[in-house]
Amino acid sequence: MAFKDISIVVARYLSSLELAFRLDRGTPQANLRWAVDGLAGALALGVVAATPVAAQEKPGSLGLGLFTFTSGPAAAYGMPGKNAADLIIDEINAKGGIEGVPVSATYVDEAQGAQGVIAEYRRLAGDAKNQVMVAALSSANCLALAPLAEQLEVPTVGWNCDTHQLLIDGKSKYVFRPNGNTVPEFVAYAIYLLDRKPDVKTVAIINPDYAFGHDAAKIFTAALKALKPDVEIVAELYPKLGSPNYQTEISRLATARPDVVFSNLWGADLENFVRQAAPRGIFTSSQVILALGETVLQRVPLPDGVIVGVLGDGWWMSPDAKANPETVKFAEAYKARFGEYPVFPAIKMANALIYVKAAYKAAMQKNGGKWPTRAELADAMKGSKVATLTGTAQTRPDNDGLVDQIVGVTVKASAQPFPVIGDMVRYKGDSLMPQAGQDPLAWISTLKPEFARRLPKPGSYK
Amino acid sequence: MRTLLAAAAVLTLAVLPIAAPWLQFVLTLAIAKGFAALGVAVLLRAGLISIGHAMFFAASAYAVTFLARAGIHDLGLLLIFSVLAGALVGAVAGSFLVRYRAIFFAMLNLAVSMVFYALCAKLYGVTGGTDGMAVPVPTVFGLVLSEPAFKSVLFYLSLGLMVLVGVSVQRYLNSPLGHALAAVHTNEIRLEYLGVPVWAVLLIAYVVSAALAGLGGAIAGFAIGRVVPDFAFWTASGHLVLIAVLGGIGGVPGAFIGALFLELLHSAAVTVTDSWNLIVGMTLIIVIMFMPQGVYGLFARKEASNL
Amino acid sequence: MLTAIIPLLLDSLASAALIFFAAVGLTLVFSVLRVLNVAHGSLYSIGGYVAASICLFVASRQLNSYLSFAALLFSAVFVAAIFGPLIERGLVRWTYGKSEAVQILITFGLFLILEDLQRLIFGVQSFYEDAPMRLLGTSSIGGVVYLNYQIVLIGMALLVVIGLRLLINHTRLGRLITAVVTDREMAQSIGIDTNRIFILAFSLGVFLAALGGALATPTSGIAPGLGADTMVLAFAVAAIGGLGQIEGAAVASLIVGLARVLAIYLAPSLDAVAPYAAMLAVLLIRPYGLFGSVTARRI
Repeated sequence: MAFKDISIVVARYLSSLELAFRLDRGTPQANLRWAVDGLAGALALGVVAATPVAAQEKPGSLGLGLFTFTSGPAAAYGMPGKNAADLIIDEINAKGGIEGVPVSATYVDEAQGAQGVIAEYRRLAGDAKNQVMVAALSSANCLALAPLAEQLEVPTVGWNCDTHQLLIDGKSKYVFRPNGNTVPEFVAYAIYLLDRKPDVKTVAIINPDYAFGHDAAKIFTAALKALKPDVEIVAELYPKLGSPNYQTEISRLATARPDVVFSNLWGADLENFVRQAAPRGIFTSSQVILALGETVLQRVPLPDGVIVGVLGDGWWMSPDAKANPETVKFAEAYKARFGEYPVFPAIKMANALIYVKAAYKAAMQKNGGKWPTRAELADAMKGSKVATLTGTAQTRPDNDGLVDQIVGVTVKASAQPFPVIGDMVRYKGDSLMPQAGQDPLAWISTLKPEFARRLPKPGSYK
Repeated sequence: MRTLLAAAAVLTLAVLPIAAPWLQFVLTLAIAKGFAALGVAVLLRAGLISIGHAMFFAASAYAVTFLARAGIHDLGLLLIFSVLAGALVGAVAGSFLVRYRAIFFAMLNLAVSMVFYALCAKLYGVTGGTDGMAVPVPTVFGLVLSEPAFKSVLFYLSLGLMVLVGVSVQRYLNSPLGHALAAVHTNEIRLEYLGVPVWAVLLIAYVVSAALAGLGGAIAGFAIGRVVPDFAFWTASGHLVLIAVLGGIGGVPGAFIGALFLELLHSAAVTVTDSWNLIVGMTLIIVIMFMPQGVYGLFARKEASNL
Repeated sequence: MLTAIIPLLLDSLASAALIFFAAVGLTLVFSVLRVLNVAHGSLYSIGGYVAASICLFVASRQLNSYLSFAALLFSAVFVAAIFGPLIERGLVRWTYGKSEAVQILITFGLFLILEDLQRLIFGVQSFYEDAPMRLLGTSSIGGVVYLNYQIVLIGMALLVVIGLRLLINHTRLGRLITAVVTDREMAQSIGIDTNRIFILAFSLGVFLAALGGALATPTSGIAPGLGADTMVLAFAVAAIGGLGQIEGAAVASLIVGLARVLAIYLAPSLDAVAPYAAMLAVLLIRPYGLFGSVTARRI
């Protein structure tokens, strides 16, 4: 058939191109041939489906679908996640795999957009070998994949997925997030700010223009207003995700002269913003809060006194992390392999994989040592409590996660060439979360100054 | 012979997802893009290149979610109304765009679509911003279907529509109105001397093409389950033109052949390389330079017209 | 009142300068070759990548950091020397006399290729090199701290407008270009080597694109996707000013810059809409752009 000829021609042409330009990036030529023949076969005849079987026998390998950003501005956040996954999976396999089954991961780049991510998810889920999806980084992709996970009944662990909208209906059977969500994450910043700077009057916000940025602004503002009603928001800017240039936004922030500049920009956007805002005096004229500031500590020279955190407990240098030999070993191995210590997205990914591993162990204990089905695995995740590299990840009955929140300010450290986090506080995971089923914003509006007074103070976590 | 070939191709498509279930999504998406590319191809007949047709694709997909929010849950009604919405947007935009030719037509289409894109991306409160909106699973003739069942219905419906709409568009192109398009391309002024209102000919073509793009967008929205502003970004419009040209604008099947070819190749390519754009770019240039009739030109008789 | 207006104006000028650099090459190439180069944005980002790479090299070798200014210029020349003749001879030449659809598609194909090539060569992480910006320091104007580099850019944009005008009106090359623009066949028949003019003009366009990218690097990051975003912005400016009009592009940059800055100051939720809305508004009133003229329809 002409189709077959064309596809072979195109692919052969491609393979010669790869050789010509030396674009071969670790892809064995045989793979390409295989895919070409596979494609041609599919076009001409249709491919033979992988028949899903009840996977009670231990399989030869355990497939994981890992979703993260490996390109674009978001890759600055996504690549540490991928690196950590590589490292942890190598470690797991070096010890014989998960319950004796070696792990192999397929990475999916989230930068291709919801459409491609959904297509990839379907493709991976169609293969019975892939038992678990670790998906995803972006809240938008998580929200798009969640209904799919329920329909296809594939256990899906959000390794980042901060949005509180993800599990809000409390009906999820297959979607998990062993992390905090936007509510505790940004309420924590409001409380910390008011402890450290009780006289704050004016606040400006510059967040990325999508759910994460808007939700964070809403939650942070609501918490501030509940705890200190006279606070005024003087500017709210939402530059497009991936904007390279913030000069005009910086001028706008400067003319507003706020006491506090709050931002949950992340990835390369955050690096760009810091590099452009620092010389223009934003960090000296206002108290700046960078909610994801820890990710850039090793890359850009942040001045002292910037409020930063890790959206959870995942700081590799926290007292708990340092007390855990596994974590110290992980951080050193990470530094040796990737040239940088693991920033918190790396820790989040590592913790998510530890969570998956623990779920397999629990599921096999429950069913008498047999290899668990997807449903049994999801069952084992529900209500679980797992020790991670940096604390514990508790899963509530509504599948939402409880993780402690660490917040602090940047300080110079003698031991490291880059600033670290000092004057820290560690809020208990459940103390900043509404009850299951409660509307988060309604809950925040009920907060009183007494609520904040009962919580630990800056500097209490040492 | 050609009818037989087409029937065999459609039959193969219908059977493929039974053999490989994951292909169903890919094929649905390919057919959806095929509709939109067909829309672009209709205008290309008149020598008009639009780098903005993703706007209508997105407009209909957004229309589906807004209509569903307004309480319409039937698949048929949603499709009809959303395509009408796409056509309406097309009529409004087309009424002033069809006055322009050549590069100005291309650029104005781009301008309008980018305004649309920016609005979708920025109006967070209305459109959900860059996160977009979820497209719900509709009912089919009052039946509440599970998601997988609906996806199968959607696929076979798209396949049916592909044949039905394809035949209708073919008839349109073979009608005097359709031939007038090619005449606009070759000699517009002569057409005017003959008393044919070029403006009306082009506006009809524009609305038809917008409706086709809209149909594709609505199907894609249902298939993906989410509509995002990126549906309307200029590179998406570029890809629609690309599909049309790759398939060959000579005949209706070209658009669908182009879309199927590209989507299937993509599914195969992602597993081995992430340089997908490189592949597509090279293919595009080679096809334009050496196969001006597109992939379809390999099947069609030599009569097909080129760019 | 004045203190509120000064930052607004200065920001508009600064962003207009950046926008102008992104667009001027596109409009120049169109005026001479009558080709809308859809890959223009990619050449812009390649210029940025090369400039950042060279600046990082300068920094890593502890060379005199003022060399980074030279590096910005050199990278633009470098990119133009490689890509200009290559693309013009290899691809664009093939589209002369063909329909716009062919021209747009060929350059769109090139755009797709260049986007992936950049990813393969420079990786997917964001590039950032701010040495030139730090060297120049800052000034406080109207109560807001500005980078001196931003002000230098405004001056450079002005210089480019004047320089191009002088080049076209007062040099031999400029007159040859004008002759080719006015009547390609006549120019050929009196013995002008139009091929050479096309290579030169296209390379000049690539140079301006790459220069734009290079000059932008010290104040903004470069990452995949920049090319596509730059492309639409350049389209918008070229369309507003009138395709092929250099002064038109300058005025259009001011309009787009002002629209965007006003949006950020007064209606931040509309910042991304502003440039395109301005484009649509202008095109509805003057479809061939502010300085453009109607080209005859084919008979």
